[in-house]
Amino acid sequence: MIVLETSNLTKKFGGLTAVNDVSMTLNQGDVMGLIGPNGAGKTTFINAISGLNPPTSGSVKMFGDDTTRLTPEKMCRLGLSRTFQIPSPFPKMTAIETVMTATIFGNESGKVKDPVDHSREMLDFVEFPMAETVVAEQLNTVQLKRLDLARALASNPRLLFMDELASGLSEGELNDIMRIINKISKKGISILMIEHIMQLIMAVCNRLLCIQFGTKIAEGLTQEVANDPKVTKAYLG
Amino acid sequence: MDNTITSQQMNPFDKLLDKLCLTPVGLLGLVLLFALPYIPPFNQEYMLRWLIYCGFIAAMSVGFDLTAGYISIVNFGYAAVSGFGGYTSALLVINMGLSPWLAMAAGGITAGFMGLIIGMISLRLRGIFAACLSWFFGLAIMGLATKMVWLTRGPLGLRTPRLFETDSNAPFYFLMVILLFLIYLACKLIVRSKMGLAFQAIGQNMDAARASGINPVYYRVFNFTVSCAIAGILGGFYAHFYGILTPDVMHTSKTVEVLAVAYIGGRGSLWGGAVIAFPFIFIMEIVRSTLSNLPGLNLVIYSLVLILVMIYYPGGFSYFYDTHIRKPKNKVLRYFLNGRK
Repeated sequence: MIVLETSNLTKKFGGLTAVNDVSMTLNQGDVMGLIGPNGAGKTTFINAISGLNPPTSGSVKMFGDDTTRLTPEKMCRLGLSRTFQIPSPFPKMTAIETVMTATIFGNESGKVKDPVDHSREMLDFVEFPMAETVVAEQLNTVQLKRLDLARALASNPRLLFMDELASGLSEGELNDIMRIINKISKKGISILMIEHIMQLIMAVCNRLLCIQFGTKIAEGLTQEVANDPKVTKAYLG
Repeated sequence: MDNTITSQQMNPFDKLLDKLCLTPVGLLGLVLLFALPYIPPFNQEYMLRWLIYCGFIAAMSVGFDLTAGYISIVNFGYAAVSGFGGYTSALLVINMGLSPWLAMAAGGITAGFMGLIIGMISLRLRGIFAACLSWFFGLAIMGLATKMVWLTRGPLGLRTPRLFETDSNAPFYFLMVILLFLIYLACKLIVRSKMGLAFQAIGQNMDAARASGINPVYYRVFNFTVSCAIAGILGGFYAHFYGILTPDVMHTSKTVEVLAVAYIGGRGSLWGGAVIAFPFIFIMEIVRSTLSNLPGLNLVIYSLVLILVMIYYPGGFSYFYDTHIRKPKNKVLRYFLNGRK
């Protein structure tokens, strides 16, 4: 089953074309890596899909329905969640409140019986290392990323975008995040992740999409794309 | 949200306090406010007038804080919206013969409508831009009130009937304290519901809030509407207490007065501004009356205190209270300051 399909998605900022004519498909159960050099338009691409920065042209189909230009909150209700490249929490809220926000507003009302319990489960699921009463502004980047992930999962998504979840992690933390990503995937959530760390990509992704200067240069199975001369050239110059 | 004791285990008194969003110390403060007119030197009429003004600013700062402290948009037109409610109320009484009480409510509704408009047109704007827009909106309303002389008598001032047909200020004072408490309660109940969570999320991080499924349009407009409706009701009170209404009540400096109190009291606490207003505005009134040869000195002091608070204690009084006073070792004192929670 096709979870996400974009056709000729284009995003222009004035005269600058950040995403140019990108078509891709994501199947149920995929863990797709979105790779490309810095400034390639990866984040813009997922912003265009998730509605934060609506596309200039082209269309997005999610779970078979046309979702082009829907607002982020609508996309969230439809089952799309995302984390942010720069973890952007609610600075004055505690961890549990942060997750509860998505639990309460991200789900159809009445679907989650006990929001507090559900939120605790999410924090446990991402192995959040701190107490649930800790205030977000006191957390470091690694902890914030975990919190952001818990928030994203709290709305019970069927499709999850992760924007550089693993950047800046140590070797041990990398293994932890690998395990968590596998856990998420096992829950039946399809994943599209922007990532630079090839070690992680090779370990968890079954398919890759490579973008350079806003244009798709490769899409396919992980090994094939990783060995594609165009992709190597984009990365190594 | 972090209730460790469920409501079934609380005794009726604590339950009631919790329903009223008060702590024992808060209740004591409220009782003190009611007793104040009987305690010398506050039992003099001119002091009572100052206290009413304190209560007015306190209540305004609670309503102001609902927007500034929760969705992080400073409504610089707040006094103007309040004055708009006041004028509506006064004109309804004068021209239509409506009872001042009903007119006050009508002032609240029209001001709420005004808030709805400000909320709608400032939707796409964030932070300082939304603040500017609300400011210009306020200036426009004030300009109208000044220029529409045929209706408002402009700077000459509109004479308005008072709420109580008495020379005593005491009934006005009690009404003000009740209004203050009701406004606090309304805001606190809103903030305690899941709506409060949405307000905070929108105020602290719009993108993350939207990605979490919160529709910012609905919550922002709702917030503005409630906050402005409160201002309108208070404007009506102001009009029917002082008995005269000039466009001056809509001036930005009035907003700044409210803003200073709300910020010194602590943003996002609701009670901070209400508590600080009484001593602070009272002292300001003393300064103003004793140093009447130096007009505007109180405004200089406002800005000075505000600058000092912003630099050295941006959390304001409520933050200071929460971090240094709220959690004493003594159990009785702890209960006194926090209630059974």
